[in-house]
Amino acid sequence: MIQGIFYARFFPQEGPKIVAQAPPGCITSSDGQRPPLVDFDVLQEYIIPRQAFCNRYVTINSPDGKYTILGYPVVIRNPKYMRNEFIFNFGLLVEAECDQTPYERVVRCLAETFAEMEKQNEYLSLSEAKGPDGDGSRRPIVSLLEIVKEDLNNYGECMIPVDEASTINMKLFPHHTNPPAVQGWHVPVAKTKFNDIIDPTWDITLQKVVAKIDGVSDVRRIAHEASVSLDLAKIAIRHLLYYDTILLLDIFFFGSCYAPRPGIHDFIRNVDGIVDECASYVSHGRARVSNYLLIRFMAAFAPGKSVKEWIYIHREMGFELMSYIDIRRFVQFGVIKGCLYRVHKYVVSKQYLASLASGQSKPLAGGDPLQKYTDGCHNMDQIMTEQNLTNDQVMERLKTLPVPRGDISVFYK
Amino acid sequence: MSCVNDENFVAVALVINRSRDGPAFVFHYPSHVSALSNLADKAKDVDAEDVLFERLSQSSGAEPAPEPSENRGAIRDDHYVTESGSQVVPWEHVAGFPARDLAGILTPARSYHKKLFQLSLDPLLCVSYPIHVPENGKWKKPKKASKAKAAKDLDEGIAPDEPNPPVRVTKAEPSKEKAKEGKKDETEEEKRSSMTMFNLVFFLNPKKHETRELVDSLYSNIVKKVNKAYQYSQQHSEFVWKESKRILAAKDRAREEKKKMSALWKELTQNSSLAASMREIYDAVSQNRIATLHLDTVDGILTPSVQIPVPLFVADLPPEDDERHRGLWLTTANAFLSQDALEEPGFLDRNFALLLTDDEKKIVAELGNDRDPTASSMAEFARLSKPTMSFYQVGQSNTLTLDQVRKYAQHFIFWRRAMAIPPLHPRDIYMVSPNCDLERLSQDAQDWQTAFPLAPPLPTFLAELSVMPRPYKFITPSKAHRPLYLRMLAWLMRGGWVTQLCTFAYVVVWPEILYEVDYEIEAEELGVATSSVDGTDTTSIHTAQSTLDGQSTHSSLTSPPPQLPSQQQPQQSQTQAQAQPNMPNPSTTSAAEHSAEMARLERIAMKAHRELADKATAHARKVAPVATTNPSLNEAPHLAGLTPHIIVDPKKATGKESRYLSAIARRFKDEEHRSAWQLMCKYFDGRCALERIALQEDMKRKKTWTLVTILRP
Repeated sequence: MIQGIFYARFFPQEGPKIVAQAPPGCITSSDGQRPPLVDFDVLQEYIIPRQAFCNRYVTINSPDGKYTILGYPVVIRNPKYMRNEFIFNFGLLVEAECDQTPYERVVRCLAETFAEMEKQNEYLSLSEAKGPDGDGSRRPIVSLLEIVKEDLNNYGECMIPVDEASTINMKLFPHHTNPPAVQGWHVPVAKTKFNDIIDPTWDITLQKVVAKIDGVSDVRRIAHEASVSLDLAKIAIRHLLYYDTILLLDIFFFGSCYAPRPGIHDFIRNVDGIVDECASYVSHGRARVSNYLLIRFMAAFAPGKSVKEWIYIHREMGFELMSYIDIRRFVQFGVIKGCLYRVHKYVVSKQYLASLASGQSKPLAGGDPLQKYTDGCHNMDQIMTEQNLTNDQVMERLKTLPVPRGDISVFYK
Repeated sequence: MSCVNDENFVAVALVINRSRDGPAFVFHYPSHVSALSNLADKAKDVDAEDVLFERLSQSSGAEPAPEPSENRGAIRDDHYVTESGSQVVPWEHVAGFPARDLAGILTPARSYHKKLFQLSLDPLLCVSYPIHVPENGKWKKPKKASKAKAAKDLDEGIAPDEPNPPVRVTKAEPSKEKAKEGKKDETEEEKRSSMTMFNLVFFLNPKKHETRELVDSLYSNIVKKVNKAYQYSQQHSEFVWKESKRILAAKDRAREEKKKMSALWKELTQNSSLAASMREIYDAVSQNRIATLHLDTVDGILTPSVQIPVPLFVADLPPEDDERHRGLWLTTANAFLSQDALEEPGFLDRNFALLLTDDEKKIVAELGNDRDPTASSMAEFARLSKPTMSFYQVGQSNTLTLDQVRKYAQHFIFWRRAMAIPPLHPRDIYMVSPNCDLERLSQDAQDWQTAFPLAPPLPTFLAELSVMPRPYKFITPSKAHRPLYLRMLAWLMRGGWVTQLCTFAYVVVWPEILYEVDYEIEAEELGVATSSVDGTDTTSIHTAQSTLDGQSTHSSLTSPPPQLPSQQQPQQSQTQAQAQPNMPNPSTTSAAEHSAEMARLERIAMKAHRELADKATAHARKVAPVATTNPSLNEAPHLAGLTPHIIVDPKKATGKESRYLSAIARRFKDEEHRSAWQLMCKYFDGRCALERIALQEDMKRKKTWTLVTILRP
């Protein structure tokens, strides 16, 4: 929330002064009643700093640590001004705790707009000459600031005509971090209903990719089926990830292992009705499976036990899981909610590893395409999608690698 | 591991303010700090808006920000003269700003004294903790208070969370103090008029999303503590001011001599312990090491140490792209500790052991160099502690007390020489950690081979551990190999390659027990009801009848008021109403109300009676509970509608749940098993690993497991 907005200016005789502020008295006391939120005498050297620090985004916290002032001091050099320069700053006062990144654009935009307007038609210096109320044809700066503050706080954006020619358009954009790189073996799962928001103006590649996201297909397959190059499909999916509209999972195989994570305790305790949510997500056909059984199924995953084995074990106990629940959905639910993690399979060749450590050899150009995967840093999903092979085919091919017996180890993590 | 690195930590600088000469930029390290480019940030801004747009904007080139012209790009090492004839001194520009201007803006007003000062001069972010001279203008504190206060200052300043403060003041020459006394008068004036504040500023260039975290960890762990240490040295021996004067004088000379910056910096860091301490701060903190400062003051050498504590473990799998936590030990041993457990005396001692992160001999040798008397018992501790022995067990030895063990363990862990892990045991299951860092595999495989030349190669061993996780002793070829294999396990643990696979339990109450308890409760309720037939219950029935009489004869006034207090109210108001006819309530309404009320109560009583009777009949018709030997397999028809119940926390079980627990206890025929159940069921809360019960209860592992297996149906 913007707690205050101000227009400060350097006067050759009086020094730095606040010319306009909203709400009144937030930076300097205006009516002598309420004390201002910050001490202008302390902060003025950062609001109107030395020229070396002007024309850049400058922020300073207040000594009590409650507020931060965000400003962009601007110097315009021109012989027409007294002392040949005009120095001003449009700044914001926000709580120190709030995320300041969205406001940086606002401050930059105000500085750029008013600097340009001052250069073109002396908007700022003229309004001063005519007194605080302006000439009547233009909005006084203080009311302008008031509108900016109110609109940004209430609607997150503002569109304000300043004079006949200029309009200030600003919007607060939340700051998202860059999403991780998308890999060919990731499986995107939609978090939003794309059909409701997609429209024909969207990027065509993105539209093609979105149409193929079904929660089962991996990125490589999506690219293939959408007739889009793999790199473009990855960019498109990363874009969706940036806006938090999808999640990335692993490829589901009945031969893979899943193991419990600490989140499984929340499942057992049915925190926030997670088990009921699971039941409605995974039940198919006849009856809803009881919470107790779902918990028991979920808790039966363990490292070293594949999904297939997990099904067999339950079959022996008299539960034909397939007829109760959708197993893929059940596993995915566990992974999404942090109850389970996928145990990945890796292959490593000791010979290759040793040669990497000593730096003797790099992967041979004409060597076996599988060799580069045997440093233990590439999981089986990657090998399979990149080489277009099945698990069994990969294992067969590894046997034909020209390495000593027992050189290849397979481990899981 | 930590978020601070040499990319986002640009430099450290000391700025002072003087009452006569104004601010001065004393020293900065590293020497060559070029202007940070704004462009990267701008591009980032664009990509925040649109990932696809990124490429486009990069190819067209973002508009360069207005920048003070003369000093773009790299800093030169030598002096040169501009066309206008002025000499450009290489150290007079730092990070693209004139040092003079920086000195001005980085000497904030007194209101920032000992507070966070965070100034961003995009893209440079300055963080500091300015220290001002006390109001009276003298740095030195009055003699009396100084000692206690200063000691306190130092304590809280440098190591609040650390058992023994690492600062040791070695009194060099007490005579110096006396020598100074004589000169006191003449220096008095000097002291009052000299340095008014100093400020050790950290220059950062963080990425947008990491700003807050970076500032927080650096400020609380480093910035504050170093400035406080400097304050201490200034209060006691004018250290900062004296060194600053020397550095500034050396810079002035070098300016005249046109000395190269690198040469001057080398000279300063060799001759001034203040400059050297700043170098150490930058080098250590940007590499995430522990910074050990040597402040060579006239009163002796001060050696404070500062660091940003590193995380030693993660409690849950970090996301795939989180590189900072990759390779850390993955464990819930700490995260699952409840407040109760932490408060329980001896809990931590029994559940944790010390795992040295470095070679034992090396650590012992390091301690051997220290003449401090505690160092030798610390070395003893390092020798005695084994990752298989809990602190409690180490404390049982005659050489060290448990208190010492705790203190030293904390000390070792804080200074990154050790970590606390649940004691390693061959019966426990260890598997390849899902958080291990595979990038390190090739290097670690070599180190492993050097450390254990006869052991199977690391990849083979990891494969062995991961394929089918099982107790570690089954991986050990023979009993004779066990010590070696435990050492190997400790090695793997240290590198974050393995983690313990723990078992957690919850109590499941089977329908048979549920039914039994419900049946009992019902019977008890009925029992209470029937046994009190002569008491309250009959009276209520009786009353109901009497009111019925009263109503039918219309002699409402005379009918004895029923015992229920609620009924006495209308009765009274009625009499009053009759005595005072002018009251607005006509008596007829009261009479009607009364009879209606009577009727209502009567209906309620009848209903309750009928329900009770129905219940009794229903209960009588119910199948009496039968205790089978294996309740989980009981599929009797009367249990069909019940689903098993999970008790989340047996320690806090109340009401029905506690009855379930005692019902289960009754099923154990064997006295020993029953008492084992009473003892252990508190651990079946899903948070306490079953592997820890033996440690907690001081029992043999084997016995514990046998009992746990029996308790499991």
